[in-house]
Amino acid sequence: MFSLSETPLDLGMLRAATRDVEAGGFAAFEGWVRNRNEGKEVRSLEYEAYPAVAIKEGNRILAEAKDRFGVIHAECTHRTGHLALEDIAVWVGVSAAHRGEAFEACRYIIDEVKLRVPIWKKEHYVDGDSGWVNCERCAARGHGHDHAHHPHGHGAAPVQPAAYYARQLKLPEVGPAGQDRLAHARVLVVGAGGLGAAALPALAAAGVGHIGICDGDRIEISNLHRQTIYTLHQAGQPKAAAAADYLRALNPFVQVQTHPEKLTPDNVEAMLVDYDIVLDCTDNFEAKFLLNDAAIAYGKILVQASIYQYEGQIFVVNPHREGPCLRCVWPEMPDPGCVGSCAEAGVLGAVPAVFGAMQSMEALKILLDLPRQPENTMIFFDLLTLRTRRVTVNRNHSGCVCQSGKKELAWESHTGLELSWEAVEAAQGALLVIDIREEAEREAAPLDCPNLAFPASVFPLQHPPMSVDQRTVLCCSRGFRSRYLAMALRKAGFPNVYSLSNGLQSLHPTHVAP
Amino acid sequence: MKIHVAYYAKLREERGCSEESLDTETATATALYEHLRNEHGFTLSEAQLRVVINEEFAAWDAPIHAGDTVVFIPPVAGG
Ligand SMILES: [Zn+2]
Repeated sequence: MFSLSETPLDLGMLRAATRDVEAGGFAAFEGWVRNRNEGKEVRSLEYEAYPAVAIKEGNRILAEAKDRFGVIHAECTHRTGHLALEDIAVWVGVSAAHRGEAFEACRYIIDEVKLRVPIWKKEHYVDGDSGWVNCERCAARGHGHDHAHHPHGHGAAPVQPAAYYARQLKLPEVGPAGQDRLAHARVLVVGAGGLGAAALPALAAAGVGHIGICDGDRIEISNLHRQTIYTLHQAGQPKAAAAADYLRALNPFVQVQTHPEKLTPDNVEAMLVDYDIVLDCTDNFEAKFLLNDAAIAYGKILVQASIYQYEGQIFVVNPHREGPCLRCVWPEMPDPGCVGSCAEAGVLGAVPAVFGAMQSMEALKILLDLPRQPENTMIFFDLLTLRTRRVTVNRNHSGCVCQSGKKELAWESHTGLELSWEAVEAAQGALLVIDIREEAEREAAPLDCPNLAFPASVFPLQHPPMSVDQRTVLCCSRGFRSRYLAMALRKAGFPNVYSLSNGLQSLHPTHVAP
Repeated sequence: MKIHVAYYAKLREERGCSEESLDTETATATALYEHLRNEHGFTLSEAQLRVVINEEFAAWDAPIHAGDTVVFIPPVAGG
């Protein structure tokens, strides 16, 4: 039974309630009031509960624990009111036939209680200050908010999962069991741009329990027309943190983790390891091929999408089902000349919104085990004609990474291709600097050093004005286009061409068009 | 013979339409693309594209038959 107690807990009585002749062991957890929290010295604290709902939700958790781990008795009591240092704030006790279940159930109960039961903690500090803290139930970990700015207010009746998910729980394919699956799912979204800005809220609102956001970029004004989770006043802020804030405010029942860095061959394994499904919401081939290879190597399901102006494509790489991969279609990363980025080709904001939502749908279909298209289907969707084309991808060239069976990254890094701005400056004019951004981008944020202009989009019809012997560095806003072009020029016989690593944005974050 | 041809992404832009019906005697995907490239001035080479015949990725030397749908697909990476 779950209960709330205004008075100090009677441990003997609580423990006695778990005794049973069939039980071979007992595990307990006690949460204590300690003297420090996040660097502040705590004098005492206060717990406030929303009793009717707390008891209902607490008992639901205990029933789940019994169901899930097959334990005999599960008890939990949480204090309310004023507590002094060293007081017991919460007590969990479980008896079971064997110790394994007892420990696991105990852990499950305390984690779920912290997350789901509407109980708030107010700390009184030695310095006379006080504050509501550690609202894990709001999934606001590390998101220090005070009482006044609390998204749903402690005074009001807290939101309940059953109410939040009511319309979705009605679906026979979802129901409480499906909702529970979503709550235990871990999905990583790489790229919090146009696709990610649509996929992320859909995943969070559906209740995907743990969501990761990987993006090293900052919000630009020109992002806002398609990345509608960000607001004008957030320009210049890191996208990952801003997106996480949005999701936490949207759904208090999910946990959000940020990875505010660019995906690289060096960090991709650590990034993916904790997740079951990865959404490729990136906007460049380098990241797409890296994610493809990483999904194969580390056995992750990858939901990939790419858009172009008014159309896009979506493809699921599922190594668990031995499905084909991106390299089954494009064995080599395509050359720079044949693709337009959003900056070059333009995009209507609704297009990535459609495809990002489709990516979240693919993830939900997999998590809920809903009916879906065959694994080897690549979908091409033209939003002008609304024609959908389902193309079968055959796993037909035996050299593909998806058939190598290797559990290591097949990615080749391009060491020696990139130069830092420090290296460019150190060359003191010995390096020819070519700005390969499009004209409008250059005008919006001119590069303030001697340079030649050569928009990447005219390649390969024209070559940049450079000689084979001249050491040359290409610059674009983020270092993707310049890297493509440098690779292509090296292939075309220019060994002394380099790419400015991370692009011009690393120099003047607010002065470079995306 | 009559076939159906569709274009995506940059090819659609360059052709100015998403799809069209053609009367052609070209025997393979390669020959068809070369013909269309000459006619419309496509900037992409065959090596930069994939061809889909009747909703399946196909080899460039695959034969084309009357009534087939042939789709030319450039790589796309926007997001
Ligand atoms: Zn493959």
